[in-house]
Order: sequence, then C-alpha cells, then structure tokens
Amino acid sequence: MPSNADSPSAPLIVLDQVAKTYPGPSGPGLSAQFHALAGIDLEIHRGDFVAVVGASGSGKSTLLNLLGGIDRASAGRIVIGGRDLGAASERELTAWRGRNVGIVFQFFQLLPTLTAVENVMLPMDFAGIGSSHDRRRRARALLERLHIADQADKLPAALSGGQQQRVAVARALANDPPILLADEPTGNLDSRTADALLDGLSDLVREGLTVVMVTHERRAMAHASRAVSLADGRIVSGARADA
Amino acid sequence: MRSPRWSKMRRDASLHKARTALVVLAIVVGLAGAGALLDAWALVRQVTAQTFVASRPVAATLRLDRVDDALLARVRDMPAVAAVRARRVVFASIDVDGRRTRAQLFSLSDWNSRDIGRLSPERGTWPPRDGEIVLEPSSLEFAGARFGQSVRVSVGDGAPVALPLTGITRDVSLPPGWMDHAVYAFVTPATLAQLGASAAFNEIQFVVRDSTLDRDAVRRIANEARALTEQAGGRVTNIAVPPPGEHAHAAQMDSLSMTQGAFAVMTLLVCALLVVNLIAAMLAAQTREIGVMKAIGASARQIGALYLGFALAIGVVASLLALPLSIAIARPYAAMKLDMLNFLVGDVAIPVWALALQFLIGCLLPVVAAALPIARACRLRAADALRDIGIAADGGHLRRRFSLPWIGRPLQLSIGNAFRKRQRILLTVLALAAGGAVFLGADNLRSGVRDSVAQLFAGNRHDVALRLTDGADAARVETIASAVPGVTAVQALTRATTVLRRDDGLDGDAFTVVGLPLSSPLLTPAVLEGRGIAAGDGNVLVVSRSLVKNEPTLRLGADVELRIDDAPTRWRVVGLVDVGSQPLAYAPVAALNAARGDQRASALLLTTAARDPAAQLETILRVRAAFDEAGIALGGSELMSETRRAFEDHLLMVVQFLGVMAWAMIAIGGIGLASTMSVGVLERTREIGVMRAIGASDRAIVTLVQVEGLIVAGLAWIVSLIVSMPIGHLLADAFGRVMFAVPMQTLPNARGALIWGAMLLVVSTIACLWPARRAVRLPTARALAYE
Repeated sequence: MPSNADSPSAPLIVLDQVAKTYPGPSGPGLSAQFHALAGIDLEIHRGDFVAVVGASGSGKSTLLNLLGGIDRASAGRIVIGGRDLGAASERELTAWRGRNVGIVFQFFQLLPTLTAVENVMLPMDFAGIGSSHDRRRRARALLERLHIADQADKLPAALSGGQQQRVAVARALANDPPILLADEPTGNLDSRTADALLDGLSDLVREGLTVVMVTHERRAMAHASRAVSLADGRIVSGARADA
Repeated sequence: MRSPRWSKMRRDASLHKARTALVVLAIVVGLAGAGALLDAWALVRQVTAQTFVASRPVAATLRLDRVDDALLARVRDMPAVAAVRARRVVFASIDVDGRRTRAQLFSLSDWNSRDIGRLSPERGTWPPRDGEIVLEPSSLEFAGARFGQSVRVSVGDGAPVALPLTGITRDVSLPPGWMDHAVYAFVTPATLAQLGASAAFNEIQFVVRDSTLDRDAVRRIANEARALTEQAGGRVTNIAVPPPGEHAHAAQMDSLSMTQGAFAVMTLLVCALLVVNLIAAMLAAQTREIGVMKAIGASARQIGALYLGFALAIGVVASLLALPLSIAIARPYAAMKLDMLNFLVGDVAIPVWALALQFLIGCLLPVVAAALPIARACRLRAADALRDIGIAADGGHLRRRFSLPWIGRPLQLSIGNAFRKRQRILLTVLALAAGGAVFLGADNLRSGVRDSVAQLFAGNRHDVALRLTDGADAARVETIASAVPGVTAVQALTRATTVLRRDDGLDGDAFTVVGLPLSSPLLTPAVLEGRGIAAGDGNVLVVSRSLVKNEPTLRLGADVELRIDDAPTRWRVVGLVDVGSQPLAYAPVAALNAARGDQRASALLLTTAARDPAAQLETILRVRAAFDEAGIALGGSELMSETRRAFEDHLLMVVQFLGVMAWAMIAIGGIGLASTMSVGVLERTREIGVMRAIGASDRAIVTLVQVEGLIVAGLAWIVSLIVSMPIGHLLADAFGRVMFAVPMQTLPNARGALIWGAMLLVVSTIACLWPARRAVRLPTARALAYE
C-alpha cells in the first residue's frame, strides 16, 4: 500500500477501528471478555501535542501501550510513520520502538541499579547508536538540557520524584525519536515541578517532536494543542485535529 | 568505557550479594567435590599408565617342579617372548617386636631387570643380600617394622631366623600388603635356604613382545612354554595369566570411579537447581525492569545475554574459587586411591585437560541451568512484564485447605507461604532431598554390607585356619589339635589347586577346590542356587560366585574338566555359593582325594575358647608347638576375625566415600534452603511490614520463617525417603559389580531415617536463622514502603 506518511499533511499516527480486549474475570454475571478499547479511529500529525484524557479505566494507558507497540491491538490497524504495527513481529516492534518512540512512565521506571546518566545511555546502548563515549556525551547533554546534569552520577533512590521524572524524559529522548509517549508524567510531581516539565515538553514539541500524553490534570491539558477524550474505551471527542 | 548493561549486572549482584554469595558458595562446594573426583581420576589414570605399564608387568607365570638355566633360556628364545625370569614364592611368618603376621617371601633370578616386572628401590640395599630382608613399602607399617631393625622370619615349623631389614623396594604388580594383610618381602635363595625353605626357583615368568595380545593369546604362548617344559622333562602345575596390561584392581577402580562420577554429576545437578532458583527469583523481582528495558528497545536476545552473562559470571567466580580447592582435595584423594593400587603419586601433576574441563563445566553449569528461566523471561511481552504486580497470591488455596480450627493462623500462614512459589520450593526440596537420599542410601548400603559380611562369614564357624605344609592324616591331625588347651573344635580339610580345561583346550587360571565332608561343622558355605554337597555325591562341585565371574562356563549344571595335579577329571556343577572375592569351589572330600590320589588333609580349621585376637594367637602358638612335637609341618595361619575385619573395612571404604558425597550434597541443599528463604523474606518485605504494623512481635515473625523452613525440610524428608529407595537399589547394584553382592534393602532403615530427620531439623534451623533475622531487622516504616 503506498505510504504518504512523509507528506507534511499526512498524519504521523493513524488508528483505524482499533480495539483491545482482555480475557475478563470469570463468574456469574461477569462477561468473558473485557473491552478496554473499541472502535478507535484517531489521527495524530507531526508536531501535535495531544492530551489523552478520561476517567480511570477509560482505556487511556491501553491506548498509549498500543501506540508504543508495547501491546498489540485485538482488532483494527495502527500505522505510525507508514509502518503497520500489526504486521511487525515482536523483534521488529522492539527494534522500531527503540528508535522511534520515547516512553515516559507514570512512576518513572528508572532501573534502580543504574545511575541517571546510565539510565539515559541505556536506549542508545540497546539500539547500538554511537560509540560508548558518544552515548555518554549525549546522555549528559540531555540531562544538561533538563537541568539535571549535576545528578548524573546518582542512583534513582537518591533523586527526588521530579528529578527522576526529568531523567525519565531524558531517557525517552535518548535515541532522538519522533514520538514521545508520556503516561501521567506529572502525576507524582508537585505543581512547580510539573509546570517545569510541561514547559519542557512544549519546547520539544516546538522543535518538531510529537507528544501524546495521558493525563487527567487540567494544567497538563492546557499545554496540549489538542485533547482526545476517552470514555468506556471509546473516543468521545478529538479523534481528528479538526474535531 | 563500560556499557550500562554490565554495570546493571554488577550492581544487581552487589544488591543481593548475600544471596548470590550463598549460591556461589554452594556451587563452589559442588564443583570442588566433583572437580576433585575428576582430577583424582585423571591423576590416577596418568600415574597408572606411567607406573604400572612402565613397570613391564608379567604376562604369565608358570609354576613348575623345577627351573633351571637351560629351561629359562629355551623360554627366553621363544619368538613371542620378550623377557623371562625365574622366581620362588615362599609363605612364611614374620615377627616384629612380638607381633606375628603372615608373609610372602619373593626370590628372583634377576633383581634388576628393566624388561620384566621392574622393581623400584626406595631405600637402603638393593638387591637383597644373603642373610638380609628387603620389605615392600606397603607392608612396612602393617608389619610394624622400621628400616634397619631386625625381624624374625620363620617358614613353616622352622626355627625363626633374625634378619636385618636393610632395604625398602616397591613392586607395583603387588596389591598393598596392608590391604591383603600380608607382609611382602624379598630375600635371596641363600636366605630361603637359611630359613629352611627350598631355595630352588619354581616359577617362570615372562613378558610378551606384542603388548596388544589378548589374554587368550597370552595363554596360548604360556601353553607353548608349558610344552617346552614338559619336553625338557619338567612338570607345570599351574599357569596364571592376568588380564594383559591391567592392574589386578584396575577394574574395581574403574567401577568405583564410575560410581563416584555418577554422584559427582548428581552433585552438579543439585547445584544447577540452586542456580535455577537464584536466577528465577532474580527474574521474578526484575520482571518490571525487563518490561521497561523491552519498552525502551531491548531485544529478547539482549536481555537474555544480560542475565546469561550474570550466570556466566557466577560460574567463572565459582570455578576460580573451586579450582584450587579441588586440586587440594584431589591430590591426597588420588594418593589414597593409588595407595590401594600400591602406586606412588610422586611429582605427577594433575593433567591440564582435567583442570580445563573442570573449569569449563563450572563456568557453563550456571549458564545451562539458567537458560530455561531466562528464555521464558525473555519471551515475556513488554505489556505483560509492565503489568507484573510482584507478589503473587499463590498458596492461597492451600491456606484455605489448611484452614482448620486446630491449625493456628500463624501456622496456616507458614504453610501458605511455603507453597507461594511452587517451582522454587520444588527445586529447593529436591536439592535437599538429593543429599538425604544419598545419605539414606549409603546408610542402607552400610547395613547391607555388614549384614552381607555377617552372612558370608556365618558359614565360617571356625576361628583359625592353618595350612599343613606337607599334608597329614586327617584323623591324626584332628586328634593332635583337639588335645591343645584352648582348642574347642577341629576339622581337617583337603585342598587342591586346580585349573579348568576350557572348550578351546586352554587352561584357565588356577583356583582352589576344598574337600568337604558331609558333616562339616566348622565350614558351611550358604548355598545361593542349586544345592550343597549331599550323601552319595561323586564328582560334583559347588562353585563360588567370584569363580563363576572368572570362569562363566562353571554355570549350574555344567559338566567340566578339571586338571588336579595334572590329571584330568570330570565334574558336574550342582550349586552356587558366595564366599566373597575368593574364586574357589567345594567338592566331596572323598571325590577330591580320589582325584588328587592323596588322602591326606592339607588344612586344619579350629575354634578357640579365647575370643580376643591376642589370646587366640597364643592358642595358635600352642597348636604349632604341638604339631612341631608330632613332626607335622604347619604353614601359614589365618585368624578369621582379622580376615573378616579387613574384608569389611575394605568394603566400607567405598561406603565411607558415599557418606562424604552425601554430606557435600546436604551442605549444598542447606545453602539452597537458606537462599530460598532469604528470597522469600525479601519478596514479602512489605507483607512483613504490615504484620509488624498490626502487632506481630519479632518472635512471631522469626517463628513464621522458621516454621516455613521446617515445612520445606519436612517435605524434603518425605521425598528423600522415597528417592532413597531407587538410589539404594542402584548403589547395591553398583557395589555388587565393584565389590561383591549385597542384599538390596528396599525401605530405608528406621534409625537412618530418624538421624536424617534430626539433621534436617538442624540444617533448616541454621539455614533460616539469617533470613529470619533479616525479616525483623528492617524498620517497619521502611518495610511498608518497600517496592
């Protein structure tokens, strides 16, 4: 199928009737399957800063996992940068994800036995980008940009929540991916730190990064260029940029 | 610059250094033990090849009525023969500082030949001089002799002669004197004459040119030599052809090494179980980290390499620590085994290939063991790994099942905790049970050996066996012996040395036939198959199991030809007995005497009133005096209690080794339990924090951990009882092939089971001490916040 992913007007991310179901709990009165997402149609363009909002259990994190190739859709198609994620093997998905997607987890998920700079080097290490020296230099530069270079050689346990989240953002940017996925990045931060992080993300968007951020905070939504609302696994608004 | 992946591996190990160190320690114990066995085996093989083969062992020995230089030259000139020598062996007694033991004196025509049966002088005079004696070093300590002292040697009823001990020389073709409870010594023909024995050589020994010839081929050459002898007017009474190039105990040593090898493999398997537990626990704790790494682009191969690298690092560290330990154990152990072969380990080094193989196995063992759990973890999808909630709810159904009013909540909790991670507990139970099963199996075998020896010697209802040098009238012999104070029962016996004439016309090795009267109160071998000697029997044989091993044609019902004093006679095999390792047969005394053409008794059995060996020896001296007065020459004597003790000790040496292996495996199992319990406590840190927050005392927490450990130990006890049964069978079977048949005891004996249970109690308590302490040491607040 011809790809128009490189066309400036073409969406970078396209979801076409995507659904995700899980085996449900068994028991009288309980359904055999749980529909986390159903009939999702979504387009995200390059440079969008999309906030995915919705109540708890609406499918926000599931949507993020599908966009990152961490999980697979039960139905529908997900095409990102012209690549159909459903057609890729696990190995191909992993390799693609390493170079094309940066992920910021809600609870930071830094490796506890690696220092900040080593955590940031790790994605470059897995992707085989640059020499060891180059990786360390880039990692320090990223930490510098996020104003945390002075904590580079500390283990995560010695960092505050905000510092850990900035290291997580630096790690997500390590391989210079076009897409950044963030799951409640400000959920465990105080307001000042949260604002600083969101400002940083906005700066990155202005530089061309596409950000999809799951959040339920108004201040976060205010930074986004667009909001996609989810309820009971379905998009109720914001599926397209003009929506 | 170091990759962050390897920094992670290093720091992960450091984070759980105690647990990792425990597993490394267990592997070191296992590798050191298994490595020592491998190194010792390799060293024994090397020394055996260098020592025994290099000594040019005798291929055949012909016993003749007389040997002269001409005959020796004719045998030497045979094309197939490389070297010859003449020999005489005389049975004697040696008295050292009042301690009397039996001896074999060897006299050779060529003491320094490099082409046949090389001897190795170690100290003093060589060759022996007239009027002096040189001892084989393996007999020195047994005889209680010291270099340079004077020993008193007597042959038959001849007067003892004092001979100075002027040399120590090793003959690697002889088994160790201490093992055979005999003193081996070298004297000149003139010294033999001084002792009143015949000084003329009566044996020809030779080595063949072609070292690849099999035993039958050598036998054919020996028969040609016999023909030459008979042409020269001589008479060959016996031909002995040992398995070419093989030490007398080589087969036993190989079988023993194989059995030990099997246990070495078992020990390594137990170590592998511990590695699986360690890696599985580590992977379980790091499931979410694995998910994160996959999310940021790590491939399954990269993650696998990380954890396999960790396993390899454990292997390398354990191997480096185990290598010097195994060398330190291997050399003395090899020296002990070589001592049983009468070899010296000397400066021979453990072959490099054995050390390299040991190192390689040690490095790869954890990698192979960890491969499956790592592969499983690598196949985890990122989404599933990130969803991992950590502590599983396993064991809940068991907790509910055990929810009985009389089982308190804490015990229910311990039971549930014990089964939380079923695979981990299973591996821990197996590791502990393996050591226990070997312990119980060895204990059963020990009892079996003792029972077998008791059964074996049950038919020997005599205390002393004496050889009559020239034979004498049976009734007269019995009358003389009965009159000696301290002798309570006597029985004269006939013995003859015979050879089996095989179907191919060759003669087998010589063995003894004992003539038994119908009523034989002092010697009644237990019949295993067929029947014993019965009234009306003519030429029938009851053969020993070990004889049938050497001569399979002597099966039950077989009709065979024996050559007794060169005269062929036909016999039928009617029964099978077990008399230990001696190849011999029993026949009706009348039939044997008729075959020999001699009615005289050649041996005397007696029982004594005295029960302790020293007093029994006094009785023997009185018997000797009585026979001396009657003009009947007595040869060597054998004290049954000493023979039985030596026999039993020899067998129990193998069992002792099994006991040592069991202890090593129990230690490894105990370390595994400690490691498992510490992982379990770590995983439940928050849970323990909650319990402390709601009022559980330190003692309650410690009891919880200890009880959980006891439950695991209890399961291991049950499993080991079950597993010990097939292991006991395997051990008895292997023992039977290596040594001699032992009755198979299916069930572990109660005493052993109780001792093992008590040991498990101690092992469990010690293993759980440290994890239990850890459980209460962490402040409650930190425990609650533990992630």
